[in-house]
Amino acid sequence: MSFFLKRTIGAGNGVGRAILNSTKIPGVQRVATKSTEKTPVQETRPTVAKLDPLQKAQLVDFGKYVADCLPKYVQKVQLTAGNELEVLIPPDAVIPVLSFLKDHHSAQFANLVDIAGMDVPSRSNRFEIIYNILSLRYNARIRVKTYTDELTPVDSACDVFKAANWYEREIWDMYGVFFANHPDLRRILTDYGFEGHPFRKDFPLSGYVEVRYDDEQKRVVVEPLELAQEFRRFELSAPWEQFPNFRANPVTEEVVNPSEDQPKK
Amino acid sequence: MGLLKKTTGITGLAVAANPHHTLGALYGKILRTLQKMPETSVYRKYTEQIVRERAAVLTQTKDSFEIEKKINCGQDEELIIQAENELNLARKMLNWKPWEPLMAKPPKGQWEWPPSKA
Repeated sequence: MSFFLKRTIGAGNGVGRAILNSTKIPGVQRVATKSTEKTPVQETRPTVAKLDPLQKAQLVDFGKYVADCLPKYVQKVQLTAGNELEVLIPPDAVIPVLSFLKDHHSAQFANLVDIAGMDVPSRSNRFEIIYNILSLRYNARIRVKTYTDELTPVDSACDVFKAANWYEREIWDMYGVFFANHPDLRRILTDYGFEGHPFRKDFPLSGYVEVRYDDEQKRVVVEPLELAQEFRRFELSAPWEQFPNFRANPVTEEVVNPSEDQPKK
Repeated sequence: MGLLKKTTGITGLAVAANPHHTLGALYGKILRTLQKMPETSVYRKYTEQIVRERAAVLTQTKDSFEIEKKINCGQDEELIIQAENELNLARKMLNWKPWEPLMAKPPKGQWEWPPSKA
Protein backbone atom coordinates (compact mmCIF):
# COMPACT_ATOMS: atom_id res chain seq x y z
CA MET A 1 0.00 0.00 0.00
CA SER A 2 1.65 3.15 -1.10
CA PHE A 3 -0.82 5.88 -0.26
CA PHE A 4 -1.28 6.58 3.39
CA LEU A 5 -2.84 9.96 3.25
CA LYS A 6 -6.40 10.23 2.18
CA ARG A 7 -6.68 12.12 -1.02
CA THR A 8 -8.76 15.23 -0.86
CA ILE A 9 -12.09 14.48 -2.40
CA GLY A 10 -12.15 16.26 -5.72
CA ALA A 11 -8.45 17.02 -5.80
CA GLY A 12 -8.09 14.67 -8.72
CA ASN A 13 -10.65 16.54 -10.74
CA GLY A 14 -9.52 19.07 -13.23
CA VAL A 15 -10.82 22.54 -12.54
CA GLY A 16 -13.67 23.43 -14.83
CA ARG A 17 -14.03 19.98 -16.32
CA ALA A 18 -17.43 18.50 -15.70
CA ILE A 19 -16.59 15.07 -17.10
CA LEU A 20 -14.61 13.99 -14.10
CA ASN A 21 -16.78 15.65 -11.52
CA SER A 22 -19.60 13.27 -12.13
CA THR A 23 -17.51 10.12 -12.10
CA LYS A 24 -16.73 8.09 -9.05
CA ILE A 25 -13.25 8.59 -7.73
CA PRO A 26 -11.44 5.27 -7.45
CA GLY A 27 -8.52 6.50 -5.36
CA VAL A 28 -10.49 7.27 -2.25
CA GLN A 29 -10.88 3.58 -1.58
CA ARG A 30 -7.14 3.25 -1.39
CA VAL A 31 -7.15 4.77 2.08
CA ALA A 32 -4.84 2.63 4.13
CA THR A 33 -5.60 1.72 7.67
CA LYS A 34 -2.84 -0.53 8.82
CA SER A 35 -3.03 0.41 12.47
CA THR A 36 -5.73 -1.41 14.33
CA GLU A 37 -7.24 1.21 16.56
CA LYS A 38 -10.01 0.60 18.99
CA THR A 39 -12.80 3.07 18.35
CA PRO A 40 -12.81 5.37 21.36
CA VAL A 41 -15.91 6.79 22.96
CA GLN A 42 -17.58 9.44 20.82
CA GLU A 43 -16.92 12.91 22.19
CA THR A 44 -20.22 14.63 22.94
CA ARG A 45 -19.11 17.70 24.86
CA PRO A 46 -19.57 20.64 22.47
CA THR A 47 -16.49 22.51 23.68
CA VAL A 48 -14.03 19.65 23.22
CA ALA A 49 -12.45 18.95 19.85
CA LYS A 50 -13.70 15.78 18.20
CA LEU A 51 -11.01 13.36 17.11
CA ASP A 52 -11.29 11.53 13.83
CA PRO A 53 -9.88 8.01 14.38
CA LEU A 54 -9.51 7.44 10.63
CA GLN A 55 -7.44 10.57 10.20
CA LYS A 56 -5.35 9.61 13.19
CA ALA A 57 -4.69 6.14 11.82
CA GLN A 58 -3.60 7.67 8.51
CA LEU A 59 -1.26 10.06 10.27
CA VAL A 60 0.26 7.23 12.30
CA ASP A 61 0.81 5.20 9.15
CA PHE A 62 2.30 8.14 7.33
CA GLY A 63 4.61 8.79 10.27
CA LYS A 64 5.84 5.20 10.09
CA TYR A 65 6.22 5.55 6.33
CA VAL A 66 8.47 8.60 6.72
CA ALA A 67 10.53 6.89 9.41
CA ASP A 68 10.92 3.80 7.20
CA CYS A 69 11.95 5.76 4.14
CA LEU A 70 14.48 7.95 5.96
CA PRO A 71 16.01 5.81 8.72
CA LYS A 72 19.17 7.93 8.57
CA TYR A 73 17.39 11.14 9.44
CA VAL A 74 14.34 10.51 11.61
CA GLN A 75 14.99 10.43 15.34
CA LYS A 76 11.43 10.15 16.45
CA VAL A 77 7.88 10.53 15.17
CA GLN A 78 5.12 11.56 17.52
CA LEU A 79 1.53 12.74 17.58
CA THR A 80 0.55 15.76 19.63
CA ALA A 81 -2.93 16.98 20.45
CA GLY A 82 -4.34 13.78 18.99
CA ASN A 83 -4.00 14.68 15.32
CA GLU A 84 -0.80 16.63 14.74
CA LEU A 85 2.07 14.62 13.34
CA GLU A 86 5.60 15.65 14.30
CA VAL A 87 8.84 14.39 12.82
CA LEU A 88 11.89 15.04 14.99
CA ILE A 89 15.20 15.21 13.15
CA PRO A 90 18.83 16.20 13.80
CA PRO A 91 19.86 19.64 12.45
CA ASP A 92 21.93 18.21 9.58
CA ALA A 93 18.88 16.48 8.15
CA VAL A 94 16.75 19.55 7.50
CA ILE A 95 17.23 19.71 3.73
CA PRO A 96 16.86 15.98 2.95
CA VAL A 97 13.77 15.59 5.11
CA LEU A 98 12.05 18.71 3.81
CA SER A 99 12.89 17.79 0.21
CA PHE A 100 11.52 14.31 0.73
CA LEU A 101 8.28 15.65 2.17
CA LYS A 102 7.96 18.17 -0.62
CA ASP A 103 8.89 16.10 -3.66
CA HIS A 104 7.85 12.56 -2.86
CA HIS A 105 4.75 11.31 -4.69
CA SER A 106 2.84 10.23 -1.62
CA ALA A 107 3.76 13.25 0.52
CA GLN A 108 3.69 16.39 -1.65
CA PHE A 109 3.92 18.85 1.23
CA ALA A 110 4.54 21.73 -1.13
CA ASN A 111 3.57 24.66 1.09
CA LEU A 112 5.71 25.97 3.90
CA VAL A 113 3.20 27.51 6.28
CA ASP A 114 5.55 28.79 8.94
CA ILE A 115 8.88 28.35 10.65
CA ALA A 116 8.77 28.79 14.39
CA GLY A 117 11.42 28.89 17.06
CA MET A 118 11.49 27.85 20.67
CA ASP A 119 13.93 28.52 23.47
CA VAL A 120 14.41 26.09 26.36
CA PRO A 121 17.52 27.30 28.23
CA SER A 122 17.85 24.16 30.35
CA ARG A 123 18.68 21.99 27.32
CA SER A 124 22.16 21.64 25.88
CA ASN A 125 20.74 22.51 22.45
CA ARG A 126 18.49 25.24 23.68
CA PHE A 127 16.72 26.26 20.46
CA GLU A 128 14.14 24.28 18.58
CA ILE A 129 13.34 25.17 14.97
CA ILE A 130 9.89 24.03 13.90
CA TYR A 131 8.74 23.80 10.28
CA ASN A 132 5.00 23.61 9.63
CA ILE A 133 4.24 22.32 6.16
CA LEU A 134 1.02 21.66 4.32
CA SER A 135 0.06 19.25 1.56
CA LEU A 136 -2.81 20.61 -0.50
CA ARG A 137 -2.96 17.41 -2.51
CA TYR A 138 -3.65 15.17 0.47
CA ASN A 139 -5.17 17.80 2.76
CA ALA A 140 -2.62 17.08 5.46
CA ARG A 141 -0.22 18.96 7.68
CA ILE A 142 3.00 17.83 9.25
CA ARG A 143 5.48 19.43 11.60
CA VAL A 144 9.23 18.94 11.38
CA LYS A 145 11.30 19.82 14.43
CA THR A 146 15.02 20.15 14.82
CA TYR A 147 17.35 21.64 17.40
CA THR A 148 20.46 23.77 17.64
CA ASP A 149 22.44 25.90 20.09
CA GLU A 150 23.59 29.52 19.94
CA LEU A 151 26.61 28.85 17.74
CA THR A 152 25.81 25.92 15.48
CA PRO A 153 24.34 27.00 12.14
CA VAL A 154 21.35 25.16 10.69
CA ASP A 155 21.12 24.61 6.93
CA SER A 156 18.80 27.12 5.34
CA ALA A 157 15.63 25.68 3.82
CA CYS A 158 15.54 28.41 1.16
CA ASP A 159 16.69 25.98 -1.55
CA VAL A 160 13.69 23.77 -0.86
CA PHE A 161 11.02 26.34 0.02
CA LYS A 162 11.35 29.89 -1.27
CA ALA A 163 9.03 31.00 1.52
CA ALA A 164 11.67 30.06 4.08
CA ASN A 165 13.62 33.23 3.33
CA TRP A 166 11.73 35.66 5.54
CA TYR A 167 10.79 33.07 8.15
CA GLU A 168 14.44 32.26 8.70
CA ARG A 169 15.22 35.94 8.95
CA GLU A 170 12.58 36.16 11.68
CA ILE A 171 14.19 33.29 13.56
CA TRP A 172 17.60 34.89 13.18
CA ASP A 173 16.24 38.18 14.45
CA MET A 174 14.27 36.82 17.39
CA TYR A 175 16.49 33.95 18.54
CA GLY A 176 19.86 34.52 16.93
CA VAL A 177 19.99 31.13 15.25
CA PHE A 178 22.32 31.28 12.27
CA PHE A 179 21.22 29.75 8.98
CA ALA A 180 23.97 28.54 6.69
CA ASN A 181 23.65 29.33 2.96
CA HIS A 182 20.81 31.76 3.48
CA PRO A 183 20.83 34.27 0.58
CA ASP A 184 20.08 37.35 2.67
CA LEU A 185 20.23 36.85 6.43
CA ARG A 186 19.38 40.24 8.01
CA ARG A 187 17.20 41.48 10.82
CA ILE A 188 13.55 41.71 9.76
CA LEU A 189 11.32 42.61 12.71
CA THR A 190 13.34 44.74 15.14
CA ASP A 191 14.20 48.42 14.87
CA TYR A 192 17.25 49.85 13.11
CA GLY A 193 20.36 49.39 15.20
CA PHE A 194 18.64 47.01 17.59
CA GLU A 195 20.90 44.73 19.57
CA GLY A 196 20.03 41.36 21.03
CA HIS A 197 17.48 38.69 20.26
CA PRO A 198 14.20 39.47 22.03
CA PHE A 199 12.63 36.00 22.07
CA ARG A 200 15.45 34.43 24.04
CA LYS A 201 14.42 33.58 27.55
CA ASP A 202 17.35 35.53 29.01
CA PHE A 203 16.33 38.75 27.23
CA PRO A 204 14.73 41.06 29.83
CA LEU A 205 11.07 41.92 29.35
CA SER A 206 11.82 45.64 29.43
CA GLY A 207 14.71 45.44 26.97
CA TYR A 208 18.07 47.16 27.47
CA VAL A 209 17.39 50.63 26.04
CA GLU A 210 14.57 53.13 25.94
CA VAL A 211 13.76 55.62 23.22
CA ARG A 212 12.37 59.15 23.76
CA TYR A 213 12.12 62.47 21.94
CA ASP A 214 14.56 65.03 23.31
CA ASP A 215 13.29 68.61 23.15
CA GLU A 216 16.70 70.25 23.35
CA GLN A 217 18.38 68.13 20.73
CA LYS A 218 15.20 68.09 18.61
CA ARG A 219 15.58 64.41 17.86
CA VAL A 220 14.85 60.94 19.16
CA VAL A 221 17.50 59.69 21.54
CA VAL A 222 18.24 56.14 22.65
CA GLU A 223 19.28 55.74 26.27
CA PRO A 224 20.08 52.82 28.52
CA LEU A 225 17.01 51.76 30.45
CA GLU A 226 16.46 53.28 33.88
CA LEU A 227 13.84 51.68 36.06
CA ALA A 228 12.20 53.77 38.79
CA GLN A 229 12.00 50.73 41.01
CA GLU A 230 14.90 48.45 41.87
CA PHE A 231 14.78 45.14 40.08
CA ARG A 232 13.05 42.58 42.21
CA ARG A 233 13.18 38.89 41.87
CA PHE A 234 9.66 37.54 41.81
CA GLU A 235 9.26 33.94 42.79
CA LEU A 236 6.57 32.73 40.42
CA SER A 237 6.66 29.00 41.00
CA ALA A 238 4.25 27.66 43.58
CA PRO A 239 5.27 25.07 46.16
CA TRP A 240 2.68 22.59 44.89
CA GLU A 241 2.55 20.83 41.55
CA GLN A 242 0.96 22.93 38.81
CA PHE A 243 -0.42 20.42 36.31
CA PRO A 244 -0.83 17.08 38.05
CA ASN A 245 -3.08 15.90 35.22
CA PHE A 246 -0.16 15.95 32.81
CA ARG A 247 1.85 13.50 34.87
CA ALA A 248 -0.37 10.57 33.95
CA ASN A 249 -1.18 11.42 30.34
CA PRO A 250 1.69 12.98 28.41
CA VAL A 251 0.83 15.48 25.68
CA THR A 252 2.58 13.50 22.98
CA GLU A 253 2.04 9.97 21.77
CA GLU A 254 5.00 8.16 20.35
CA VAL A 255 4.62 6.70 16.87
CA VAL A 256 8.15 5.48 16.20
CA ASN A 257 11.33 6.11 18.08
CA PRO A 258 14.28 4.76 16.10
CA SER A 259 16.80 6.52 18.31
CA GLU A 260 15.90 4.30 21.25
CA ASP A 261 14.64 1.15 19.52
CA GLN A 262 18.08 -0.21 18.74
CA PRO A 263 19.28 -3.02 20.98
CA LYS A 264 22.08 -2.06 23.31
CA LYS A 265 25.46 -3.51 22.58
CA MET B 1 -10.12 12.36 -30.69
CA GLY B 2 -11.88 13.89 -27.75
CA LEU B 3 -12.38 17.52 -27.02
CA LEU B 4 -9.23 19.55 -27.23
CA LYS B 5 -7.94 20.80 -23.89
CA LYS B 6 -7.48 24.57 -23.88
CA THR B 7 -6.31 25.26 -20.35
CA THR B 8 -5.38 23.51 -17.12
CA GLY B 9 -7.22 26.14 -15.10
CA ILE B 10 -4.09 26.59 -12.98
CA THR B 11 -2.10 29.81 -13.20
CA GLY B 12 1.28 29.37 -14.81
CA LEU B 13 0.70 25.77 -15.84
CA ALA B 14 0.45 25.38 -19.60
CA VAL B 15 -1.27 22.49 -21.32
CA ALA B 16 1.26 19.77 -22.10
CA ALA B 17 1.58 18.90 -25.76
CA ASN B 18 2.14 15.15 -25.42
CA PRO B 19 1.67 14.18 -21.77
CA HIS B 20 1.68 10.44 -22.46
CA HIS B 21 5.15 10.55 -23.95
CA THR B 22 6.54 12.98 -21.34
CA LEU B 23 5.21 10.94 -18.44
CA GLY B 24 6.55 7.71 -19.91
CA ALA B 25 10.01 9.21 -20.31
CA LEU B 26 10.00 10.63 -16.77
CA TYR B 27 8.86 7.38 -15.17
CA GLY B 28 11.55 5.52 -17.07
CA LYS B 29 14.18 7.94 -15.78
CA ILE B 30 12.95 7.63 -12.19
CA LEU B 31 13.04 3.83 -12.34
CA ARG B 32 16.54 3.87 -13.79
CA THR B 33 17.70 6.23 -11.01
CA LEU B 34 16.14 3.98 -8.39
CA GLN B 35 18.02 1.00 -9.79
CA LYS B 36 21.23 2.53 -8.45
CA MET B 37 19.97 2.39 -4.87
CA PRO B 38 20.47 -0.73 -2.74
CA GLU B 39 17.72 -3.34 -2.87
CA THR B 40 16.99 -2.98 0.83
CA SER B 41 16.23 0.75 0.62
CA VAL B 42 12.65 1.33 1.72
CA TYR B 43 12.49 4.57 -0.20
CA ARG B 44 13.37 2.68 -3.37
CA LYS B 45 10.78 0.02 -2.66
CA TYR B 46 7.88 2.41 -2.13
CA THR B 47 8.82 4.79 -4.93
CA GLU B 48 9.21 1.93 -7.40
CA GLN B 49 5.81 0.67 -6.36
CA ILE B 50 4.16 4.05 -6.94
CA VAL B 51 5.92 4.71 -10.24
CA ARG B 52 5.28 1.19 -11.56
CA GLU B 53 1.61 1.62 -10.72
CA ARG B 54 1.47 4.84 -12.69
CA ALA B 55 3.53 3.53 -15.57
CA ALA B 56 1.17 0.57 -15.81
CA VAL B 57 -1.72 2.98 -16.34
CA LEU B 58 0.24 4.57 -19.19
CA THR B 59 0.57 1.22 -20.95
CA GLN B 60 -3.15 0.58 -20.69
CA THR B 61 -4.33 3.74 -22.37
CA LYS B 62 -3.12 6.62 -24.47
CA ASP B 63 -6.02 8.96 -23.77
CA SER B 64 -4.97 11.71 -21.39
CA PHE B 65 -8.35 12.01 -19.67
CA GLU B 66 -8.30 8.28 -19.07
CA ILE B 67 -4.83 8.54 -17.53
CA GLU B 68 -5.92 11.33 -15.20
CA LYS B 69 -8.94 9.36 -14.11
CA LYS B 70 -7.03 6.18 -13.45
CA ILE B 71 -4.04 7.68 -11.66
CA ASN B 72 -6.35 10.11 -9.85
CA CYS B 73 -3.71 12.53 -8.63
CA GLY B 74 -4.48 15.67 -10.60
CA GLN B 75 -4.25 16.59 -14.26
CA ASP B 76 -1.59 15.32 -16.63
CA GLU B 77 0.37 18.54 -16.27
CA GLU B 78 0.39 18.12 -12.49
CA LEU B 79 1.43 14.50 -12.86
CA ILE B 80 4.36 15.67 -14.96
CA ILE B 81 5.40 18.10 -12.24
CA GLN B 82 5.12 15.40 -9.60
CA ALA B 83 7.25 13.05 -11.69
CA GLU B 84 9.87 15.77 -12.25
CA ASN B 85 10.01 16.42 -8.51
CA GLU B 86 10.36 12.74 -7.74
CA LEU B 87 13.16 12.42 -10.30
CA ASN B 88 15.04 15.34 -8.76
CA LEU B 89 14.53 13.89 -5.32
CA ALA B 90 15.68 10.41 -6.34
CA ARG B 91 18.86 11.84 -7.85
CA LYS B 92 19.57 13.79 -4.66
CA MET B 93 18.79 10.73 -2.57
CA LEU B 94 21.67 8.92 -4.27
CA ASN B 95 24.00 11.42 -2.61
CA TRP B 96 22.20 11.59 0.71
CA LYS B 97 21.86 7.82 1.14
CA PRO B 98 18.88 7.94 3.52
CA TRP B 99 18.85 4.14 3.91
CA GLU B 100 21.91 4.27 6.19
CA PRO B 101 21.45 3.98 9.99
CA LEU B 102 20.56 7.01 12.07
CA MET B 103 23.17 9.77 11.69
CA ALA B 104 22.90 11.35 15.14
CA LYS B 105 21.08 10.47 18.30
CA PRO B 106 19.28 13.30 20.05
CA PRO B 107 21.00 14.70 23.14
CA LYS B 108 19.46 13.40 26.33
CA GLY B 109 16.22 15.15 27.23
CA GLN B 110 16.05 17.01 23.92
CA TRP B 111 12.57 15.82 22.99
CA GLU B 112 11.14 15.70 26.49
CA TRP B 113 8.18 17.86 27.30
CA PRO B 114 7.69 19.38 29.82
CA PRO B 115 11.45 19.94 30.00
CA SER B 116 13.31 18.64 33.00
CA LYS B 117 14.65 21.28 35.33
CA ALA B 118 18.40 21.63 34.98
